[in-house]
Amino acid sequence: MNGLHGIIFAYERRGNLQELGAIRSSASIPFGGRFRAVDFALSSLVNAGATDVGIVLHGHYQSLLDHLGTGKDWDLSRKRGGLRLLPPFNYKGDWGAMPYRGHMEALAAVRTYLEEIRQDYVVMIDGDLVANLPLGEVYEAHVRAGADITVICANDSFMTEDGTYFQVGEGGRVNEVFVHPHTPRGLRGLGTYLVSKKLLLELVDDCAAKDQISWRSDVLQAKRDDLHIQSYVWKGYAAQIRSVQEYYDRSMQLLDPAIRADLFCAQRPVRAKNADLSSTYVGSNGKCINSLVGDGCSIEGVVENSILFPGVTVEAGAVVRNCVVFKETVIRKDAQLSYIIADKDVEVLPGRTLMGHATYPIVLAKGSKI
Amino acid sequence: MKKECIAMLLAGGQGSRLYVLTGDMAKPAVPFGGKYRIIDFPLSNCTNSGIDTVGVLTQYRPLELNSYIGSGQPWDLDGSTGGVHILPPYQSSKGGTWFKGTANAIYQNIGFIDMYAPEYVVILSGDHIYKMDYSDMLARHKAANAACTISVMEVPWAEAPRFGIMSVNSEDMITEFAEKPKEPKSNLASMGIYVFSWKALRQYLIDDENTEDSENDFGKNIIPNMLAKQERMAAYRFEGYWKDVGTLESLWDANMDMLAPESGLDLRDQSWPIYARSVNAPPAFLGGSSVVTHSAVNRGSVLEGMVENSVLSPNVTVGEGAAVRYSVLFPGVQVAPGAVVEYAILGEGCKVGPGCHVGGTPENTPSGWGLTVLAPGCQLPEGRNVNAGVMLNRNGEEVSK
Repeated sequence: MNGLHGIIFAYERRGNLQELGAIRSSASIPFGGRFRAVDFALSSLVNAGATDVGIVLHGHYQSLLDHLGTGKDWDLSRKRGGLRLLPPFNYKGDWGAMPYRGHMEALAAVRTYLEEIRQDYVVMIDGDLVANLPLGEVYEAHVRAGADITVICANDSFMTEDGTYFQVGEGGRVNEVFVHPHTPRGLRGLGTYLVSKKLLLELVDDCAAKDQISWRSDVLQAKRDDLHIQSYVWKGYAAQIRSVQEYYDRSMQLLDPAIRADLFCAQRPVRAKNADLSSTYVGSNGKCINSLVGDGCSIEGVVENSILFPGVTVEAGAVVRNCVVFKETVIRKDAQLSYIIADKDVEVLPGRTLMGHATYPIVLAKGSKI
Repeated sequence: MKKECIAMLLAGGQGSRLYVLTGDMAKPAVPFGGKYRIIDFPLSNCTNSGIDTVGVLTQYRPLELNSYIGSGQPWDLDGSTGGVHILPPYQSSKGGTWFKGTANAIYQNIGFIDMYAPEYVVILSGDHIYKMDYSDMLARHKAANAACTISVMEVPWAEAPRFGIMSVNSEDMITEFAEKPKEPKSNLASMGIYVFSWKALRQYLIDDENTEDSENDFGKNIIPNMLAKQERMAAYRFEGYWKDVGTLESLWDANMDMLAPESGLDLRDQSWPIYARSVNAPPAFLGGSSVVTHSAVNRGSVLEGMVENSVLSPNVTVGEGAAVRYSVLFPGVQVAPGAVVEYAILGEGCKVGPGCHVGGTPENTPSGWGLTVLAPGCQLPEGRNVNAGVMLNRNGEEVSK
């Protein structure tokens, strides 16, 4: 049938996320005061009319499962299709020994699922990509160009962990692929690909037969001359959350209204799980400026240039500057924080002072008491 | 499917004392406390009390309420054997009529209730803000072996003449009921929340329907009839926050109460959550020049001006240099730069132009002070002043209260 099928890769672990990534896959990392990274991929797919989405998992997925539930927050709780969680049910290696080494190994492990895809086209997205992509337009461009594979790139060469970069020739056709280079060249790949179901199955079988595991080197690089690989350049905001510094810098960009307008555009709403919290309350002596604030926070102290997730408490006399504070964290009286990323359920006791730096934000692990 | 207890929620009120504010919606669909609608309170109380089957009786302008309730999923009322059901008046082979009164509304839905063959029916009202455990009230009803249990609360004696007043004996059984008595004998006021044994109520509803010149009202007919026939009627004492938000003043008061948990209305208490259907929007942004104090803010809002002692719903914008004080702003209200809004309730989607002045403080209004109210969708052009106590319809024309 017509339409797009979504596959989100949420199996990769990123060591540079420190404690933020140690307890969860990077797809479920909280972002933007309300969301998880995977919300952006899910919303992009749903906004392009996708009704079936598979999520490839491999270890550390408790937090992601909690977040996704049945998929009803994205209208993906369906009688037919809808959200499918894909743990490694066909995985041939030792259970839990190692995550997949590449997308092709991951896809081979869920091959029975791929066969049952109802749609003609498949969009594959990395779960840690934060971008509001117009996938409907990407699909039209793919068909127009008569491409075999479309890769979505950002209009920049920013360095990202384990990045993919594309050198693009005339008409947007990709003529060189750089994987994990020391010095980025070409356009930054966003880990998002559009391919027909038929070709994808052929490629999975071909790679499996040759013991090849990587989508990027064994397909994109190796077959760049045989296949028509087309680029689609996305000029909007696109963050890949792969290190603490990247997480921090990209979060702070959301304080810019132009970037928010782009990421949260009205035509393509970003959906997320709803917590049943009340309104946020700013107290009589509270002060909160230049900050994004989720639901159910209570602010009696000072908050500046920060991002607060739902249910955060900032007590009187406390000062929070240039911080990202996750759900239900409590900053007690007279504590002072700057350039801190505080994970969920952290408690900073009265009078404590913690300071990082813009180039070295400090992470407070989930549940820690300082 | 038999249920021990189901709830019937009277949501057909016209909300005429909220005047223009209700616009095209029924009163229970009116926003409250920034993120809620009034009906979220009884619905959440039901689900938190273990009642999974609720009939919502609608009549006037039900579209917004119907779409808000939807499948009932936000309140966990979408179970396979019960859930929330919208019950509008309908035609049968003998004809059909509008609901004549509260009792008639239940009478017309006897068929619905019989489907669940319940032992007990809880009758709720769609315009009260409170948190109550109905299972506790039901336990009282059973323990007292009553035909009807009415929840009551103590009110100041001076205010008693505004309520339905219950006199009780030493066992808190009701001996007398007086609707708005000039000289109250008790200060126990009915909160309009009833538990009935269904078998008894069913018969009283049928008898009441067959009585000509009955107003078919619970307070005026059913309760007095049951008392007259010496049915066992228990009082259930409720302590805690409860407010009827049927008037503009009480709606505004209850919103202000929400800001101060000392009032007893603590919506941040997660042991008894109030659920709501929420909107998709990014978190609120409080800008560099904003000054927000003692106020509630919600997602999707962008605030650059001053906000004091106010309750702001989702997707509200307050421009730079604007000031909002002691006001309640419904979803999507836009206050342009330099505008002032004081002691006002602004309906959904109102746009206040640059430099407008809406409402006034009681101190600066020599006579005739009141809340200023803008109907949903009202748009004020640049520089327009709207005095304290004035009410405007959606075309910006003054209407009287």
